[in-house]
Amino acid sequence: MFSEQRIRGVLFYLSLVAFFAGLPFILSFALGYKLNPRTLKFTQTGLISLKTHPQGARIYLDSKLLDEKTPATIQELLPGVYNIRLELEEHYSWVTQVSVEPRKVVRLEKVILFPVRPNIKQINQGAIASFYIDKDRGRIYYFSQDENAFFVSDMEGEKFERLNNAPEGFTYPLKELKISADREKMAFFNDHQICIVYLNPEKSLLYGQTPLVLNYPNQRISHIFWHSDSYHLLLIMDRNIAIIESSPRTNPINLVNLNKWPGDFIMILIKICFISATFSAARTV
Amino acid sequence: MINNIVRKRTLEIIPGLISWSLIFTLVLLAFINPVACAIIIIVFDFYWIIRTIYLTTLLLMAHHRLYRERLRNWLSDCPKNSLYHLIIFPVYKEGLDILRPSLEALKNCNYPKDKLVVVMAFEERNPQTKDNAKILESEFGKIFRGYLSTFHPDGLPGEKRTKGANATWAAKKAKEFFNSQGIKDDEVIISCFDADTCVDKEYFGCLTYHFLKSPDPHRSSYQPMPVYNNNIWQAPSFARLVEISSSFCQMIESMRLEKFVTFSSHSMSFKTLVDIDYWPVDMVSDDSVIYWKAFLFHKGDYRVVPLYITVSMDVAYADSFFKTIKMQYKQKRRWAWGVENFPFLIDGFINDHEIPLIKKIRRGFHLLESHVTWAIWAVILVLIGPLPIIFGGVFFNQMAIGFNLSKITGLLFNFTLFTSLVWVILSRIILPPRPKGISWWKNIVMIMEWFLVPFIILILGSTPALDAQTHLAFGRYMEFNPTLKSKKVV
Repeated sequence: MFSEQRIRGVLFYLSLVAFFAGLPFILSFALGYKLNPRTLKFTQTGLISLKTHPQGARIYLDSKLLDEKTPATIQELLPGVYNIRLELEEHYSWVTQVSVEPRKVVRLEKVILFPVRPNIKQINQGAIASFYIDKDRGRIYYFSQDENAFFVSDMEGEKFERLNNAPEGFTYPLKELKISADREKMAFFNDHQICIVYLNPEKSLLYGQTPLVLNYPNQRISHIFWHSDSYHLLLIMDRNIAIIESSPRTNPINLVNLNKWPGDFIMILIKICFISATFSAARTV
Repeated sequence: MINNIVRKRTLEIIPGLISWSLIFTLVLLAFINPVACAIIIIVFDFYWIIRTIYLTTLLLMAHHRLYRERLRNWLSDCPKNSLYHLIIFPVYKEGLDILRPSLEALKNCNYPKDKLVVVMAFEERNPQTKDNAKILESEFGKIFRGYLSTFHPDGLPGEKRTKGANATWAAKKAKEFFNSQGIKDDEVIISCFDADTCVDKEYFGCLTYHFLKSPDPHRSSYQPMPVYNNNIWQAPSFARLVEISSSFCQMIESMRLEKFVTFSSHSMSFKTLVDIDYWPVDMVSDDSVIYWKAFLFHKGDYRVVPLYITVSMDVAYADSFFKTIKMQYKQKRRWAWGVENFPFLIDGFINDHEIPLIKKIRRGFHLLESHVTWAIWAVILVLIGPLPIIFGGVFFNQMAIGFNLSKITGLLFNFTLFTSLVWVILSRIILPPRPKGISWWKNIVMIMEWFLVPFIILILGSTPALDAQTHLAFGRYMEFNPTLKSKKVV
């Protein structure tokens, strides 16, 4: 028992010494100081934090290769300007120059290293005005202003197929393409017009349906969304939010007047959420 | 009189005030001066790493001692003596499923039964007790030298509903029994056990040995190592981990003799107990306050002798996860209510003129520091640690310290995992054999469950202690709230 207490005493004092001896080093490290062993003085330093995607890039600091690979922190750098180069096999190099300030960190933590892809191919020779990628079905929809027509291909750009001609009476350029959930209709719009084009295959009931152009000369269209029933469209305009049917006889149903648009953005978001919820609830019923 | 009340209240406020002041100061600093806050957190983190190494080494030493002495036949090493053992089990609502194993363990221990006197101390206010007492008397009444069932009346003047009040009533009845048998107080060693305590077979041999070998046996308490093995295989992970940690903390404390205080089931000289007028009848933390009472009575010349032998108790758990957390929380808060010893001790020091001042300062500081550290450590490490990074803004996060703070905190976390590994190995060694009907997979579960430690720290690390200190500071005194145990399998 006595010897145990003696060992404990020794351990206690060792711990005490370790704490007080280690504390200056821990604190100086944390604060960005470095002990100069020659002068026994603490020098102010800075550090560089590097994170890349993908990880594992070699780090060159002023052309000198470091042992670490990304993600890494280069500690205890004297203040000054440094050249950083990051290299990873089959990726383009990333180069920058940074100024390290005393007791500060330079964060290069959002570096993306782009892969060198020898097999990149051009999937379309024509002038594409707009496109829509349907990831779920692995298809890409194109609009070519030169040919004034819509096309579809797979994700590799193969199986190119002409879908439909663009309608007359619609003023280009268009703002955005939107495909309905059932992939039977495509909607696109400019500031004052919405156009709906039918993408149906030959055996479909809607085959040959002529495109539909809806005009809103007095309002500016900001966004359109397909509802999940693939029949209704939600329109966000500068003064209101409305719902229309994708039919020539549609009468817009005004849901919300947006007097403060685009000032009170949060309120608008709340309204949109409310409308979506109402929409879904109505659909469920 | 008014001065005494003011002094008492001031002393009661001090621990809570210090703990909350430290927490608020750090939170405030995180907003107004995150660099200063980060420096304090890093110093605390480093202190905690060093402390963890030190305490884990002590745990290894205590564990080694316990392991080394586990097979020793203490009785054969005991000199001839005329000592008797009084064993008191204060009972509240514990049923026969809890009480029977405790008495069975006494029956099976390697010590002459004609030297043991057992008192089952029931509470009169519990209507079930009379029937239980009769059953136990019929089963165990003739095995020992004496077997008494006492019934502590409710609402005696000056008493609160505490375990100490019940134990005191029982000890007085036992004194009458010994006097009637012509046995002197100084020939008796009293052991006050929780109702679920199952002693090791060699416990009384070990206790007698240390009592006889002690240079001043009447100025010592004797503290066995509490383990919670009775139902450890059946208990849910959360409760099991908490109790294993409690056992380990007690083992660590056993190596720090100058700070060692009695806890839970323990033994002492009956003469000393009578001299100091038994347990306080109005305090919840009877197990530790009895030590301080004896310490003050003997003018600081009183100590706790660690016994490297186990007494096994039940892991407290309920039939659902949240009820178990609640039960564990209440139990830990009751333990943390030991902070009431601080005003008791300091008041005793103020009235005493013989204990050396340096001893008063050391013991007073140790007591205060241990309770304050208990109340703040998890809050600082888990909750305040990230605050400077969250609220420090762009300026702080551009600073080297803002960057390194998370790294050093991460280092601490990894280090805690490493020490947890040591604790996992040690916990496996003290674990009783796997009972029949328990799947082999439970072995794996018992190792994997240590990953719950950070969450347990968050819930049961500091909050019960902070809660207890706040109650004491506001004068909202706790009643004794016993942890109800049962041997149900979850």
